[in-house]
Amino acid sequence: MQLLNTILIGITAGSIYSLMAIAFVLVWRSTRVINFAQAGMALLSTYFGYEAVTRIGSFWLALPIAMLGGAIFSALVEVILMRVLVKHSSSGPIAAVAPIIATLGLLGLIRSVIAMIWGGQDLRIPPPVSNNGFTVNGEVLVFSPLKLLILITTLILMALLTLLFQRTNLGLSLRASAYAPEIARLSGIRVGLIRTLGWALAGAAGAVAGVFQTVNGNGNFSPDSIEFSLLLVSGFIAAVIGGLDSLLGAVIGGLFLGLVISFVLIYLNGGLFFIAPFVILLLVLFIRPQGIIGAKVGRRA
Amino acid sequence: MHKLKPRAHFALFLIFGFLLFLASNRVDELRVYQGASIAVFVIAISSLILLTGYSGQVSLGHGALMAIGAYSATLARNEFQIPIIVTFFIAVLAAAVGGALLGAAAARLSGPYLAGTTLALAIGLPSLANQFSILGGEQGLLFDVGFPPLGLGEDFTQYKWFFWIAALAALISTWLLSNILSSRYGRNWRAGRSNEVAAQICGINTGRSKILAFTISAGIAGLAGALLSMTIGTVSPSAFPLALSFALLTGAVLSGVSTLSGVMIGAVTLVAIPEIADVVAHRIGSSENITTNLPGFIVSALLIVTVLFVPNGPVEQHRARAAKKAAKKKL
Repeated sequence: MQLLNTILIGITAGSIYSLMAIAFVLVWRSTRVINFAQAGMALLSTYFGYEAVTRIGSFWLALPIAMLGGAIFSALVEVILMRVLVKHSSSGPIAAVAPIIATLGLLGLIRSVIAMIWGGQDLRIPPPVSNNGFTVNGEVLVFSPLKLLILITTLILMALLTLLFQRTNLGLSLRASAYAPEIARLSGIRVGLIRTLGWALAGAAGAVAGVFQTVNGNGNFSPDSIEFSLLLVSGFIAAVIGGLDSLLGAVIGGLFLGLVISFVLIYLNGGLFFIAPFVILLLVLFIRPQGIIGAKVGRRA
Repeated sequence: MHKLKPRAHFALFLIFGFLLFLASNRVDELRVYQGASIAVFVIAISSLILLTGYSGQVSLGHGALMAIGAYSATLARNEFQIPIIVTFFIAVLAAAVGGALLGAAAARLSGPYLAGTTLALAIGLPSLANQFSILGGEQGLLFDVGFPPLGLGEDFTQYKWFFWIAALAALISTWLLSNILSSRYGRNWRAGRSNEVAAQICGINTGRSKILAFTISAGIAGLAGALLSMTIGTVSPSAFPLALSFALLTGAVLSGVSTLSGVMIGAVTLVAIPEIADVVAHRIGSSENITTNLPGFIVSALLIVTVLFVPNGPVEQHRARAAKKAAKKKL
């Protein structure tokens, strides 16, 4: 029974990491930047979701609103910040690290603006369904209707995303501008616009990850939530495990990471919560630096 | 790059130190304490300048490395009653060992991968303090450097003593660092940063050179960590939050990551920001939410603006402009 519990918890947490990893991958594919502000955007979207929930009262209406808010904000960041950045700091000693530093600055900026508007105290999004575990053969599982819903919603969103990428013209443009921006431009794709769209999709995915991470925990969140630091690190690691370039890889990476962390916490030591992801990341980078489904060129940014 | 010979450097540092000594006798306690903080930040920022500006590696984990230095110094002091000056050397050594391990991983990574790895470390490492009871958990441990020696006079305050120790450490480490940076190693780092393949062709072992950069940088960060916990009086996980790593990065970028000469700009700015924020918040008469978060806001905004518009720092910008002017004159 403990084994089943561990696996189910791992998969639920892993599906949330997958969403975050998808956000990282979408941004990486469109601009070749790791957006460390992704956690800040997810947090901001969670606040949008909170406002919607308290006003409308329906979680399932609030989720799309959070996604829309996240997408718009993310697109604005690309247009306002990233385009200027690419224009200004293309040479010089820190050209290679400038985008990293800029997104980190953005992370801090979002955090402090949130704290200015909503204050530093805990807010709460009540879970839409019960988080009390299912009972099987008289034993209570940790796996709950809420976790099941999270899992199902995540799967649906991933299916929609796959459809978008594989079956529509827009998806084709997105893939083309990721792999060969110059050629895509020559064949009439507006690469700049498509890039912004990639960021918007990432913002939406991050929004879902943020809201789910919150309700999957105790429902409380604040600007200093450690949950969001964990989401940032886990999403990044999941994306790296998956090879940073592949959406499927991000999903597999997220599930793998969720399972490993869940096993470490339950079978080894619950206090390893924050150091475990770091160790896993180091192991992955040493053993298989190109990721599970990564390109074969190695880790060059 | 540096036209002064090392010995001339040394004389300059001596003079600067003497001026600091004169100044410390003339200002009030708060300023002396801020002076100590500036000295700590000078050390910490210079370690990042070495790593990011010279060897081209980003670290978001320098707060964690500072924590390693601070904890090892504190443990050495509290468990074995080691003389205070030796504990600082222990801090340097312990952090350098940690840095060498991290550097060995880092040498295989680049750009965003390294940033992510060090970020995971910065978030993960402080939580370890709650795992081992010897590290004192969330409350942390006391770190007491003791009273200033009686020989310095009766009105020699504790803060002044902090300032002297920190300023002396800052002078020594900056002097050492500026010499290392203008030595063969500094050139190797810059070569590896600008073009790794070309550097390898010239016979530089870029992997080893990167690890060395990480080790030295971590050692200096460890010293800064020990000095930081000296000025606070305790060492605890909350003294080394992710925000500290970000602040250091901001300081380094403000100073201009590619030269050591601007390091004071970053350090003074970091110490001045809370005070400036306080004044601004009072002036506009804002609510508590805004007042408490204004410093963080200013730090992040400065970071973004600097990266966007003066990516190589004000000193380098000024130099480039001067060089342009000189070139025009020649024509």
